[in-house]
Amino acid sequence: MTETMTRPAGVWSIGAPRLLAGALGGRRLGVREHLSVHGPPVARTRETFTSWCSAVGLRGRGGAAFPVAAKLAALPQEGAAAVVVNACGGEPGSVKDRALLDLVPHLVLDGAVTLAAAVGAEAVVVVTHDAAAAQSARVAAAERRDRPAVSVDHAPGGFVAGEGRAVLAGLSGGPAVPPGRRRHATEAGLHGRPTFASNAETFAHLGLLARMGPQPFAATGLAHEAGTMLLTVGGAVARPGVVEIPIGTPTDVVLQAAEAATPTALVLGGYHGAWVDPARAHPLAVTAETPVGAGVLIALDSRTCPMGELARVTSWLAAESAGQCGPCVFGLPALADSLAGLWAGRADAWDRAQRRIALLPGRGACAHPDGAARFVATGLHHLAEEIAAHRRGGCGRPVLGQLPLPGGDSR
Amino acid sequence: MRLEIDWTRCDGHGLCAALLPEAIELDEFGYPIIHAQRVPSGLASRRAVASCPALALRLAGK
Repeated sequence: MTETMTRPAGVWSIGAPRLLAGALGGRRLGVREHLSVHGPPVARTRETFTSWCSAVGLRGRGGAAFPVAAKLAALPQEGAAAVVVNACGGEPGSVKDRALLDLVPHLVLDGAVTLAAAVGAEAVVVVTHDAAAAQSARVAAAERRDRPAVSVDHAPGGFVAGEGRAVLAGLSGGPAVPPGRRRHATEAGLHGRPTFASNAETFAHLGLLARMGPQPFAATGLAHEAGTMLLTVGGAVARPGVVEIPIGTPTDVVLQAAEAATPTALVLGGYHGAWVDPARAHPLAVTAETPVGAGVLIALDSRTCPMGELARVTSWLAAESAGQCGPCVFGLPALADSLAGLWAGRADAWDRAQRRIALLPGRGACAHPDGAARFVATGLHHLAEEIAAHRRGGCGRPVLGQLPLPGGDSR
Repeated sequence: MRLEIDWTRCDGHGLCAALLPEAIELDEFGYPIIHAQRVPSGLASRRAVASCPALALRLAGK
């Protein structure tokens, strides 16, 4: 079994790093180093933030890719009560949020603190599932001269507990599960009050954008989606880790830089994402045809059985259900069972799997069933030949665990 | 008029499918599948909403 990457194995970039400037190789920037790399944070008004975020096409980096300008515009006129920095990153293939808090906590706090000032929020809450990242954020908050009202919340949790609305439910004193009624955090977030909540990387980009302004910010990336993004690269690569790339960099460039020998399949966007063809170069963007979700790129090679990898992750996804909604509670384990059937070469498993996939999307309080359905559907589509081989008696390869899953440590 | 389900409340009692068989069927685990285009407007839907023992069904929109 592959060791789960709980800390980034490497920290590198393609092109000049922005978020990771000064931190390549895994060096942590304390307040002094941070200021010497970036200069002091710059205050901006809510209007400036909104218009600049719109100009550079900044989108949330937690996986949902919601436009930041639209989220700001959705806040009531009087602003927000709180700003919540979500660094939970429950995706097993993603360690970029942890890396940000570990290495450049001040850049994340700059974005959160300046945005909080712009929207009149009195509180900034940083929430993470990782103890070391929480400690790094606490140290950073304590050593800042602007003495911000930052609290750091560290609570262990799984995949669904990291979802934005589940995080807010947990911070508000309830169980960290997605609420049944869809209310936006901008209306009713932390303790039911208007809240601006986004992913840690989003705030780091806000910290940069406030300093740089939209034109210099747009010097790299795509026209409609400017700047850089963080990826966690893993699986069958010689250089796994967190990598900062210009938005729009194609998969083949990243795979070459990560020293992936001969990938036979790619998983983009993690376990709510999609399997894609490694023979095609897919531009990596937050909202491309093949979106990166929370920035995850995993390569598989011919040493492992991809059907077994898919079945193994599907069982994990089933176990990660928050347990609230019937179609997820019963549908995902049933789907995992169908995939085990495909792995075992059972003839009727394909139809069962397809039927169960079709009954997941839109039938839950959160996007877990939808994301899981997309992941499994694209995997099955990609693995048609493998499935045929299993029906003929198996592919003869072991399941190496190239798709990372949390080890037996925390669950 | 649109029927919505609060999936955190639905326990798969199946009354909705019994009352609106043309619009709602049940999946293999007894949870409703709504065919939106076949949801009748008016009394029949309102009665299904009112009958849900888990208060999981509601009407939204016009």
